[in-house]
Amino acid sequence: MIYVIYALIIVSLFFAAAGVVGMLRMPDAYCRMQSSTNVGTLGTLGVMIAAVLYSAIYLHDGGMAVKCAVIGIFLILTNPIAGHALAKGAYHHGVRLSKKTIMDKYGEDMEK
Amino acid sequence: MRKTTLPAFISTLVVCYIFWLLITGQIPAVFKGGAAPQILIAGVLVSILAAAFTARFFIHSRAFHLFNPVRLITLLFYCVIIFMKELIKANIDVAKRALSPKLPVKPGIVKVPTELKSDYGLSMLSNSITLTPGTITMDVADEEGGTNLYIHWIDVGSEDPKEAGDQIKGTMENWIRRIFE
Repeated sequence: MIYVIYALIIVSLFFAAAGVVGMLRMPDAYCRMQSSTNVGTLGTLGVMIAAVLYSAIYLHDGGMAVKCAVIGIFLILTNPIAGHALAKGAYHHGVRLSKKTIMDKYGEDMEK
Repeated sequence: MRKTTLPAFISTLVVCYIFWLLITGQIPAVFKGGAAPQILIAGVLVSILAAAFTARFFIHSRAFHLFNPVRLITLLFYCVIIFMKELIKANIDVAKRALSPKLPVKPGIVKVPTELKSDYGLSMLSNSITLTPGTITMDVADEEGGTNLYIHWIDVGSEDPKEAGDQIKGTMENWIRRIFE
């Protein structure tokens, strides 16, 4: 079972690393945010599931396993709200879309 | 300012108390019958205080909607199976894009119609969309033709609102309708 836990941690570290690489390479602020969601979802969920399994099976501590699960739930619940606020705030503040952007329905509808 | 109603207060209290039990690690003790009474009583007091202040923001209508076991099980099934599948698929896709040398992105903001009506359903759908890497909900707009979501999409697959909606939302919208409508 310990190898399952190792595998979960390695997979989530891979996704966190991919998210960071994407954050550095993407063309504009919005695409960087897309990539940072990688870190916030599978990057942390894998570690949290591994922590739940480890504390339940190897530490025999049910309370700690439940706490780890609750931390995971709250991360997932609160993450997207910051996402909406950042994206909308950046757009209204005037952060430009990159030149690769092919369509912008939001800007078109705001001008109306 | 909205007023706090009694059903909203009670259901917020119950949710707060469940989270209190989870966070203090008392759940295993509760089932075994050895929970410390001072923690349980302190939890009730804290939950009453929290519910009195937050119930009016937390619940606006149909306070006991989610206390129906069928809906709870559907919600759990949605979160653990349907949403996880979408999440893993999208994560792999965006990780591949970030790591590939050519950086194949085609970003754009699309407008997608949705048939959901209730506030809870809409916020759950837009949160689900934001949580899947590759799509971020930027705004929700009420118009005469229905509700629309503005979504920043890292790889625009279709410029047509209907088709784009099908590709982004997948089966998620139907499941959320089953839970909240």
